[in-house]
Amino acid sequence: MVWTRPIGRIGRIFSLSYLSMTPLLILSPLILLAALGAVWKARPVHAALLLALSLALIAVLYLTIGADFIGLVQFMVYVGAVAVLIVFSLLITRPGDEAEELARRPRSVVTGLVCTLPVLWVLVHVVSRLGNLPAGAVENPVFSVAHVGQVLFTRYAPAVLVVGVLLTAVMIGAALFAREPGKKPQCPSDS
Amino acid sequence: MSLLDRLQQAAPALWSPEWLPRLPQRLVEILLQYFGAPGWLVTLAGFLVAAATVVAVFLSGFALLSLVERKTLARIQNRIGPNRAGWFGILQPVADGIKMLTKEDIVPAKAEWFLHLAAPILIVVPSILALGVIPYGREWVPVPLELGLLFFFAAGTLTELSVFMAGWASGSKFPMLGAMRAISQMVSYELPLMISALGVIMVTGSLSLPAIVAKQAGFHLGFIPAWNLFTPWGLSAGLIFYVASIAEANRCPFDLPEGESEIVAGHMTEYSGFKYALFFMGEYLGLFAISGLGITLFLGGWQAPLPGLGCVPSWLWFFAKMVVVIMSYLWIRGTFPRVRIDQLMRFAWLCLIPMALLTLPAAAIWHYVGGGLLGWLTTVPLLLIPWVILTVLYNRRMAPATRTYTFAES
Amino acid sequence: MTPLTILLTLSTFLFTLGLLAVLTRRNAILILVGIELMLNAANVNFIAFWRYGPPDPDLTGPLFVLFSIAIAAAEAAVGLALILMVFRHTRSTDLNRLDSLHG
Repeated sequence: MVWTRPIGRIGRIFSLSYLSMTPLLILSPLILLAALGAVWKARPVHAALLLALSLALIAVLYLTIGADFIGLVQFMVYVGAVAVLIVFSLLITRPGDEAEELARRPRSVVTGLVCTLPVLWVLVHVVSRLGNLPAGAVENPVFSVAHVGQVLFTRYAPAVLVVGVLLTAVMIGAALFAREPGKKPQCPSDS
Repeated sequence: MSLLDRLQQAAPALWSPEWLPRLPQRLVEILLQYFGAPGWLVTLAGFLVAAATVVAVFLSGFALLSLVERKTLARIQNRIGPNRAGWFGILQPVADGIKMLTKEDIVPAKAEWFLHLAAPILIVVPSILALGVIPYGREWVPVPLELGLLFFFAAGTLTELSVFMAGWASGSKFPMLGAMRAISQMVSYELPLMISALGVIMVTGSLSLPAIVAKQAGFHLGFIPAWNLFTPWGLSAGLIFYVASIAEANRCPFDLPEGESEIVAGHMTEYSGFKYALFFMGEYLGLFAISGLGITLFLGGWQAPLPGLGCVPSWLWFFAKMVVVIMSYLWIRGTFPRVRIDQLMRFAWLCLIPMALLTLPAAAIWHYVGGGLLGWLTTVPLLLIPWVILTVLYNRRMAPATRTYTFAES
Repeated sequence: MTPLTILLTLSTFLFTLGLLAVLTRRNAILILVGIELMLNAANVNFIAFWRYGPPDPDLTGPLFVLFSIAIAAAEAAVGLALILMVFRHTRSTDLNRLDSLHG
């Protein structure tokens, strides 16, 4: 009767070999490929959909590591809201000039690489010097939702309130931005 | 131990009616353990059989529902409905399936074939994923997750992106329009859906769906079940959830994205044959999933409605409630006209979301006071007065004027 | 090659790709795509250190990621609203064409 005991974490199936790197080794190249496609592809909708794919794969990565709450939140917010926002605004603005983009591609890529490769070098240098961290990973770090709720609303309560105010302001601001200028809000008078 | 001994040993937890839905899974488990399979293989095989059971049950439910819907709508519209294919049309789903499978699969020349192919699949997959976390009976949750509700909503948000992919990949105007409408509708109605579920989470203290069902056990005053629907905040949140679920599933009166008289079939216009059948299937499976969630959150899941009826297996109660809820969806489809896009948006943002937000303090006050008469006295005004104000305001500004008819004389 | 190193490498390259997108792209919305990639790289970093670094009962890593996700969503919303407003005015999302303040 293996699963009458509730499966606490989605990632428990991977905790059979808890420090196993197989999911990481499979997911990381896929994420990088999808992100590369999002950066490289000239057609904007393809790039946006590849971004959604890379965000979804990052969510799966979080699920396999053991942060399943964060993984599901990432899925819900990034893939379900931010990616939808991006494709929706692409639908509205209808960019279509990929020939122009492809024509200026060599020069823009060279400029981009010249500015980006130093950053990459610095980061890789830092990561490679990350020698001995203090001792180790706990096997299955505790992550129950009750614990998250408690910590959020006792220790980080001011931050939660600030983020709430921020999100309300963002909602009101975006609604105001999106209104057509010069028209009073009116309701249709017919049925 | 011989196989017969193992089966006999597992007898009460295998052959009782309560365990009937788990029978295939347990049988496969016992068989594999008898043949000495390693632990991980037994687990994997059990999961696969459980998933196959869920899919089989709900696919046959989908087939049955397509027939029942057409007959019900027909009776509401004073006609008979399909009655040619077999006795009372019972073989109509088979005929539909054969038709869908043998139709030519047309992909427009301007369409992106990969996204065109991937979109129907990505619409069916979240619905099936979401069906996996709902507790169907006392002993039967296919996947008992601690974060079950969050998983359900995360699976639901994948549908929006797939609808966009379906609309955009078709490469023509009607699908694009339909996709835009569908996304704006789904995004708007997801908020009331999730906020009304928040009240339930708050009172239960857990995101796990079996725990939510277990919290609704027991009876008040001896015969009223302690379901969330029978509390003031639960009634309000349940009604909001019900309306938002109709909109999420793109059903009439919120079926603007697939309004046949306006934009052909919306995002499904350029699909034919089996891909269209997949869209159809995704919509109906999503309907099953979200009505199952509503039953779990507000109608007590698999709990029996009266104290003496505990002998009936719990999964029968669940499916009976699901039948009632789905028939109400069909009834509403046959009765209400389609709403316009601005009416839809206004309804979501100006009516459902304020009322859903009000259920949160109501649930909090109810939980703090501990339910009972004091809870009713304090929370009912909190919910009723804004509702009355909203209705009065709506009727004054938005309701259609009384029609006056002029008939031709003589 | 510890899991931590794999995740840090992933986040490094993800950040670099996002930076490349921001610097190279001309469409304002695709620049937002790059910004989201960079934010996600930072989030992967936080989760990696929470999981494979010293034990932390306070859940600082995941909670920081939670706030980061919320703020990223807010920023995407406002950014896209701004882009749509500008688009309504100039009918173009090409950043190279938005080089004058008036008109």
